[in-house]
Amino acid sequence: MTGPGDRFEPYWRTVLERLAETPSAPEQSEIALRETEFARLYGIRLTGVGPYRLFGYLSVPKGKGPFPTIYWTPPYGSVQEIIPQGTANEVRSRFATFALAHRGQRTADRPLAAMFPGLLTCGIESPGRYLFRDVVADAARGLQFLAGRPEVDPDRLVAVGNDLALQSVALTGLASRLVCSPELFFDPLERCRRTRAYPLEEYNDYLRRFPGRRASVALTLANFDLLRFAPRVSVPTLIVAGPPGSVRDEATLAPLIRAVDGPASSYQSVDSNYLDGVAIDGWIAEQLGSGPPILPRHWT
Amino acid sequence: MAHFVDPDYACRTELPADFGRFWQDVEGQARQIGLAPHLERDRLRSDREVTVFQAFYTSIDGVRVAGWYCLPADCAGPFPGLLKVPGYKSDPAVPKEWARLGYAALAVAPRGKLRSRSQFDPGYPGLLTHGIVDRNTYSYRGFYVDAWRGIDFLAARPEVDDSRLGVAGSSQGGALSLCTAARRPQVRAASVGAPFLVGMLDAAELTSSYPYREISDYLRLFPERRRQVEETLAYFDCINFAPEVTCPLIMNIGLRDNVCPPETGYAVFREIASRDKHLYAYPDQGHSAGRHEHDQIAARFLAAHLEPKRPR
Repeated sequence: MTGPGDRFEPYWRTVLERLAETPSAPEQSEIALRETEFARLYGIRLTGVGPYRLFGYLSVPKGKGPFPTIYWTPPYGSVQEIIPQGTANEVRSRFATFALAHRGQRTADRPLAAMFPGLLTCGIESPGRYLFRDVVADAARGLQFLAGRPEVDPDRLVAVGNDLALQSVALTGLASRLVCSPELFFDPLERCRRTRAYPLEEYNDYLRRFPGRRASVALTLANFDLLRFAPRVSVPTLIVAGPPGSVRDEATLAPLIRAVDGPASSYQSVDSNYLDGVAIDGWIAEQLGSGPPILPRHWT
Repeated sequence: MAHFVDPDYACRTELPADFGRFWQDVEGQARQIGLAPHLERDRLRSDREVTVFQAFYTSIDGVRVAGWYCLPADCAGPFPGLLKVPGYKSDPAVPKEWARLGYAALAVAPRGKLRSRSQFDPGYPGLLTHGIVDRNTYSYRGFYVDAWRGIDFLAARPEVDDSRLGVAGSSQGGALSLCTAARRPQVRAASVGAPFLVGMLDAAELTSSYPYREISDYLRLFPERRRQVEETLAYFDCINFAPEVTCPLIMNIGLRDNVCPPETGYAVFREIASRDKHLYAYPDQGHSAGRHEHDQIAARFLAAHLEPKRPR
C-alpha cells in the first residue's frame, strides 16, 4: 500500500476550492431524437475546473418529480453513453439519470482528446500535473450539478461507476447511495503486478519504460488511493468485486469494504453480466425504495 | 414467466436482389485506393515478449484507418495473422495477448473509432443510424470495408503467412468477423461472439437497450422513412452475408443477452454456409456470452486452424 503522508488533504482541498471558484454555467438543450413516451433527454454543457467545458446526458421522466436518480460517473474509455449499454431504456421512465463525460472523452474532447490506453498515466510522474486529478474533479462537478436539479430527489440519488463514483461521493458528500466497481486506484501498483490486462497494464507499460519514476508515480497514486477516500463515504455503499481469483476479487477488496464509513456491503461478480446486473439493480431498487427493478426483457 | 428464447426464431430481413452487385461495386471502389500501410513502433507499449506498433492504412473514400499491430518479439516469422475487430462503443484493445500466443495480431479501429476519427465521426450514439436512408451513404459501408482491409493489411505483411489468416471479435466485432469471413475467402477461421448487426429491425423490437435502441429512436422521430431504413439495412445485415461464409467458425451467444438478442444469433447461425461450424449457447449469460469460459475455447479453435508457434 502506498503511503500518502499528509499530502492527501491539501491535494483535494485545492480541487474543491477550484470547483467552488468555477461557476458550472450549465446550458441545457433538448435532444428530440432520444425522447420517448416516458422521458425527455437533454444535453448539458457545464464547466469544470480549468475552466473546461464538459458534457452530460440528462434524462428526466415525464410527470411530476422529484424522481429517484442515477448518476453514472464516467467510465474508463472514450465513450460515455446516455445509459450504459444493456440497460433497459425503460429505466428512464422512473429515474432521472445523468451520464457525464469527463474532459477528453467524446462530447467533451475539445481541446483535450484523451487516448485509451494513455489517459491513466498522463502526467503521472507529478501529483500536480496528473491529468486524472481534473478528471476526478469533473466527476465531482457532475454530482454537484445533478444534486442541485429540481427534478432530483436528493434522498434517493445513487452514484454508480468505477473509482470515480466513490471519489466524487467522498469529495462532495452529495449522493445518498453509492455503487462502486473499483478498477483503477485500489492498490494499483501491487495489483498491476498480477495482470497484463488493460487498463492496469498502462501502469506496467509506463514503469517498464520509465523505471526511474516508480517513486514519483507511487507518490502521485497515493493521492488517488480509494482507501483514503472511503472513510469520507458515509452513505450506504455497495462495492462490486470481480470474480474470485481476479485482481479485484472480494478478498482483495476487503480492506476497502471495511474502510467505508457508512454501511457497506459487497457483491462478488459471478462472471455473468446478466446475474451481476440483476443483483446490482436489485440493490439499487431496494435502497432507493423505487419499486421492483426495471430489468431488460431477456433478464426476466 | 422467464423469457423464452426461440432457437427457431426467423428474422424478417430480406435479401436484396442486387446484394452481391452492390458489394462488388463498393469493393471495386475500394480497390482503386492504395492501402498505403504504415507502421510506427510504440516503445511505451512494447515489452520483452511483444513488439507493439501503431498501424495505419487507407480505406474507401480515402479514410485513414488506425490499428494496434502486435508481433512476437522473441522469434522469427512467418506468423499466422489474426484480425481483431472491435465492439460498438469500446476502444480497440492492444492485442498483446495474441502476440504472446504466436500471432501477428492487428486490432483495427474502423472509421469513427478513437484514432480513426479525423475524417468521419458520427459518435456514439449516432453511428448506427448515420446516413441510414441511403445504402451508399450509410456509415457501415465504409466501416465494413475498413475491417475487411485489415485482412488485406495482414496478407501484405512479409512476416505473415497469408495462408493462415483468422478473424475474431464479439458484439459488433462478431458482426465484423462474419462479414469479413464472407468477403475475404482467404480467412481460414472465424470466432464470432454475440453478433450485432443481425436481424437489425427484429433486434430493435426484441430489446430496448442501446445500441439497437438508436434505430427505434430514429424511426419514432422519422416514421415516414421506415421503408428507406429497411431497404438500407438489408444490405448491411450480417444475416445476408452468412451464406458466403464457408470457413470453419465457432459462435458463442448468451441466452440472457439483452444487447444482441440471442434469437438473432440463432437465426444467423443457421444461415452460415460453413460445414465446420459450432454454436455455444450459454444459458445464464448476458452480452458477455460466457466469455470467461469461452475465451479458452476460442483460443484452442483458432490455434487448431492457424497453427501459431508459441514463442520460446
